[in-house]
Amino acid sequence: MKADDRSEDGITTITGDTFERMVLEGNGPIAVEFMSYSCAHCGAMEPVLQQAAEFLKDKERIFRVNIAIDEDLARRFEIEGTPTFVLFLNGREVGRMGGPSPDISSVLAELTQPFEG
Amino acid sequence: MTPILLFDGECHVCRRIAHWVENSARRQSGPPGIVVRPIGQDPAALRLLNPDLDIWEAYAAPHVLMPDGSMKRAGYAVAEVFRCLPNTKWFAGIFAIHMFGTQPFQIMLNAAYDVLADIRPLLGCESCGRPRPWVSPLVWLANQAKSLTGCTRKAAAIPHFTSLHKPLARVPPSAVR
Repeated sequence: MKADDRSEDGITTITGDTFERMVLEGNGPIAVEFMSYSCAHCGAMEPVLQQAAEFLKDKERIFRVNIAIDEDLARRFEIEGTPTFVLFLNGREVGRMGGPSPDISSVLAELTQPFEG
Repeated sequence: MTPILLFDGECHVCRRIAHWVENSARRQSGPPGIVVRPIGQDPAALRLLNPDLDIWEAYAAPHVLMPDGSMKRAGYAVAEVFRCLPNTKWFAGIFAIHMFGTQPFQIMLNAAYDVLADIRPLLGCESCGRPRPWVSPLVWLANQAKSLTGCTRKAAAIPHFTSLHKPLARVPPSAVR
């Protein structure tokens, strides 16, 4: 997989090579979904996340890390399962949640509340 | 080109079935009638096999990629696998039989596949998603039975979450930050 793979769904997949630059050196609110294509829960989350990304596109960036490929990133952030969302504000982790309910209101709340506190 | 059965390599139920298909295909003389291949994690690689193949869809149900570029999925993929294997092709013709405008045996196979797909979480596949409502009581019963027998592994405590099979070794923060 390429380092920056903007898939046709509009959420950029980032890797260990680009994580530092895109997330830790990034400005503003950023949500990173640690996922795997083989995880059915991630599959259920996918259309909801697409909606959320569209809704939040001016306020927050959403990236995806495939832990089946980037296991080192999963270790680094102590990911215990998928999907796990880790939220960063100006490069600092400000929140995380694992397995949110795959409905748009829950996901939007989970992706925005940590930045409001 | 040989038909390709794509399977979920993370699901042990699927792996066992794929292993059986692979062994059965090798039994015939000459080239195998079908090859098996795990879906993997690269959406672009899958699209090279078939431009219409979406990786999420590939994980949602088994697919057989046909030499003519078409795809068969779910129960139709199962029927195709039966047609390709030397030890099952003798009866696989029944799935193509039309009666009263329908394919009754294919419909039965589709239903059987749906049941198998639904009970995969019951068979220990945690990556296969939440059990369907009708399976949930069976999962609860299975967990109770495991508790009674001293087996502590249960379905994920968080409903929409797939716990990692193997906990990842922790990297000291000093090494990475």
